[in-house]
Amino acid sequence: MSHSDLLMKTEMAMPRTLKQACEVQSNGLHDKNDIPGMPLPVLKAAGIDLMDHWKEGLTAPGQVSNLLALRDPSLHRLSADSIGALCTLSAIADSTAVRKSAPVIAQAAESTATPQIRNVATAGGNLFQRPRCWYYRAHQFDCLKKGGHMCFAVEGENRYHAVFGNGPCHIVHPSNLANALSVCQAEVLVVSSAQGTEEPRRVPMHQLFCLPEDRLKSEHTLGPDEIAVGISYRAAPHSAHYEVREKQSFDWPLVMASVALDMRDDGRTIAAARVCAGGVAPIPWRMPQVERALAGINVKDTQRVRQACDLAIRGAQPMSNNAYKLRILPVAVSRAVRLAVG
Amino acid sequence: MARTSSGIQNQSGDLDVTHDLPTSNRTYNNVTMDDVTSRVDAVAKVTGRAKYGIDQIAGPTPLVAGFARCPWGKAELTGGSLEAAMNIPGVVHAEWTGEDIGRECQYHGQPVAVVVAESVSAMRAGRLALGLTWDRRDCDHDIESAQPEPPALSEEQVEAINNALENADFVVDAVYSTAVQTHSCLESHGATVHHQGERAVVYGSTQSNYGFRDGLGSALGLPVGSIDMHCEYVGGGFGSKLGPGKEGVYAARMSKQFGKPVWLFCDRDEEHLDTGNRPSSRQHYKLGIKTDGTVTGGHILTCGGVGVGGGGGGVCGHRYNFGSVIRKHVDVSFSGGGPKAMRAPGHPQGMFAVELAMDELAAVAGIDPLELRRMHDPSAFRKGMYARGAELIGWSNRKPNGSQAGPIKVGYGMGICDWGNFKVPAQAEVVIHRDGSVEARSGTQDMGQGQRTVMGVVAAHHLGVPLSVVQAKVGSTEYPPGPASGGSMTTTNTEPAMRVAATEAKKQLLARVAEQQQLDADDLAIVDGNVVNGSGKAIANWRQACAMLTGPITAPGSVGRSDPTLRGQGNSEGVQFVKVAVDCETGVVRVLDIVAIHACGIPVCRKTAESQIIGGVIQGISFALFENKLLDRQTGAMVNANFEQYKIAGADDMPRITPIIWVDPDATGTRGLGEPPTIPTSGAIACAVFNAIGAPVRSSPITPDRVLQAVTDAQAPKGGDA
Repeated sequence: MSHSDLLMKTEMAMPRTLKQACEVQSNGLHDKNDIPGMPLPVLKAAGIDLMDHWKEGLTAPGQVSNLLALRDPSLHRLSADSIGALCTLSAIADSTAVRKSAPVIAQAAESTATPQIRNVATAGGNLFQRPRCWYYRAHQFDCLKKGGHMCFAVEGENRYHAVFGNGPCHIVHPSNLANALSVCQAEVLVVSSAQGTEEPRRVPMHQLFCLPEDRLKSEHTLGPDEIAVGISYRAAPHSAHYEVREKQSFDWPLVMASVALDMRDDGRTIAAARVCAGGVAPIPWRMPQVERALAGINVKDTQRVRQACDLAIRGAQPMSNNAYKLRILPVAVSRAVRLAVG
Repeated sequence: MARTSSGIQNQSGDLDVTHDLPTSNRTYNNVTMDDVTSRVDAVAKVTGRAKYGIDQIAGPTPLVAGFARCPWGKAELTGGSLEAAMNIPGVVHAEWTGEDIGRECQYHGQPVAVVVAESVSAMRAGRLALGLTWDRRDCDHDIESAQPEPPALSEEQVEAINNALENADFVVDAVYSTAVQTHSCLESHGATVHHQGERAVVYGSTQSNYGFRDGLGSALGLPVGSIDMHCEYVGGGFGSKLGPGKEGVYAARMSKQFGKPVWLFCDRDEEHLDTGNRPSSRQHYKLGIKTDGTVTGGHILTCGGVGVGGGGGGVCGHRYNFGSVIRKHVDVSFSGGGPKAMRAPGHPQGMFAVELAMDELAAVAGIDPLELRRMHDPSAFRKGMYARGAELIGWSNRKPNGSQAGPIKVGYGMGICDWGNFKVPAQAEVVIHRDGSVEARSGTQDMGQGQRTVMGVVAAHHLGVPLSVVQAKVGSTEYPPGPASGGSMTTTNTEPAMRVAATEAKKQLLARVAEQQQLDADDLAIVDGNVVNGSGKAIANWRQACAMLTGPITAPGSVGRSDPTLRGQGNSEGVQFVKVAVDCETGVVRVLDIVAIHACGIPVCRKTAESQIIGGVIQGISFALFENKLLDRQTGAMVNANFEQYKIAGADDMPRITPIIWVDPDATGTRGLGEPPTIPTSGAIACAVFNAIGAPVRSSPITPDRVLQAVTDAQAPKGGDA
């Protein structure tokens, strides 16, 4: 960013309908030919992460499209199988429908940030917030995500960085909602001018995010003209979210685990398990080896449950200062399993 | 996830905290101890009506000044252009703060240039337009990387150490360390200065209103008597706002240069980088103990991590009798911002090591840590607090170190403190107006401790009127010089001065009433706001009495450095007991309960005194578990210069805190309470964690990675003496 960017005016679009929002997102606020090379507007929900970037000098967008202006009621709808993109984290945490259908989602929403932030932060914003890596967030570090040539965490301060994912950038994914949605077989609904707004494109969680080795400057696979409008998820009544944090107030988890279990009719045997770990990889990190090992286990057999959860660290490659996460990870997973059983 | 409810409570179900507290409105010596007085400026503060220095604009719209700073631990400035900055619309001035291109900067956050502009955004744009380029150099970023030489010991000292250790049955040989803690004042450092030719008006954020003004004389080129200094409210200082700092000095210089008001306040990152800190420490203890609990001595070799500060890293760990101890201290330099005094400078880090060493000695000798402290604490007074604190925390439930089954283990710990009674000259005045209103004035300041409330209570009490009659005024050089708020001395020094002023004002008022009513002044008194005669009959109510004045009464009160008849004697002492729960599978420590017993002579206002204790305890919890100014090992840049990644205890991290004001029946006057309550907390927590796990975590902050390592250590087979 150059100094002139800071003095440049920022224009904000206030789209009322999804159609308008899509048009703004594909054409900008003006005719494309007016200002050649003008980047497309930055999407803004509550704007928490956008302002963090702005204040640190990491961005200074010429155009912002304020999705909070949208009047479409579906964006605020909450049900036993869907979440509008503009639902606040507080609304999700407080929703009886969500809590009954998939406790893991309500718990993840509730554990985020602070009450003040949860009252404004949206589901969509939470999914697409950028990573909190301190090298990425500080302007002077020209890291891979900012087009630089090295990840400063490798030889630097990496206590909060990834233990999975192979680099070359070692962020951890910041969204705990994404972690929970991942075990509820969720799909993100996406609209665009090309797609239209009537039949949103459905993107499963495992296709929504991408590893740094595939894409460095973004953490997701959506196109620049696409807008996430909602989430559909499947009921997971036996599910739970567990976080291990240094601070209990306003802190990012060292490790988190989301677990959803399908139980057999006997109520004791796990038919199928879905396990996702966070705070450990650049994307929500599904753990198929743990899922397979949990299937068929009697949940009262704590030793076998523990053995299955111990597989969570298989394939991990800790950095110089974060091997401690490998001790916490199986514990977080097994505690989430225990909570999910209820 | 279910959240546990927690909060600050001082009257909690199963803890009888009122037992040792004086009853309501009981009078000790000359001040009232009451249960009802709330902060007189509480509503102003929580509604935003209170204007802090950063809110103040002196006169017309000010120019905005800001520093451009070095982004690395050590780097040479290889390029940059003042002219480019000045070409930005709205920028009026840019200058180097020292050498220009070629300058080698020594820490992240070191100012290299100052930019003055017509708006904040223009200043920031100008700062970027400087286009500074840097050649980054390798640097040391902490004590370890600086590899300090071990302190030189003479042959006699080595022999003394060896003798002490040889006389012992067990030896504890341990290295303790504490991280750099920043002051993290909510209101940042800075000032608005308006140089008006013959005089200047300054709004600063300071804990020394007069000291700040006096520090600006040469920058403004004015006699200090021509500077009007104002500081109505301060959003925290903790020792870092005793002088004008480079922020105040540059605001003053720029205002003088341009003849306009200049506003210069730091951003949050600048606060972490360059406005001081509590320096880190490394403390090597080697102490011997006999089976009977006698500590035979040894050595305590300490380092303070002072960055570029050059000094100020001393650690204060002199409290228990450790026998014949050789102590050596060195300050270690590296590429980091220098320290400033921070709430009991040197003490929390010193006592972190002292208390944990005490518990390690107790463990090897097989003695209860409370018992060992009883043997070695030289203060008989403090020992009175031991029994009460042990009872309230439930010390009898304490299990032997590391003896509990299950992942969640409960631990108990304790720590002690004391603090000197620092005396400085102080002045105050009481003004009684004809309409019955009263001003209690002092040029000291309120950085959050409740100074208006304290002064108002003292003046009201000695006048004999309700507090509602009195307007307490602080934070201006229009008022008589009051003390700096450092060393826990604001109340101890303003209280006697205000007492003298109020007593004199009352005397003058009664003299006037006596003259007007043709009575004998010696017969008159003021009770509940009424002037009464010797038989208790009301002569006049307060308004009527004041209406008899021909003009306002302005009564001065002054106290010198030593004045045994007016001043309290003796030190402030305290004991804290802590109960924690350690999750040995995740390494997470939760503090459950803290009982904080503190003596401060005669307390003036119970709520603000308890609030001081609670605040000190919270800062201690945060120091023990979370805070860490972390400099990148590769570049020396601080990686967590914000309030997201620099971790400070929040609401959900709070234990139940029980503040107890321990009233000494023989005490005279007031003693300081600002600093002592933050001294014992971190050490007590470290002891409690040791008790729970069975192995010590010798470094603060006590984070999950370190706890898990200690859990491993505790499970490892033991070897050697210990």
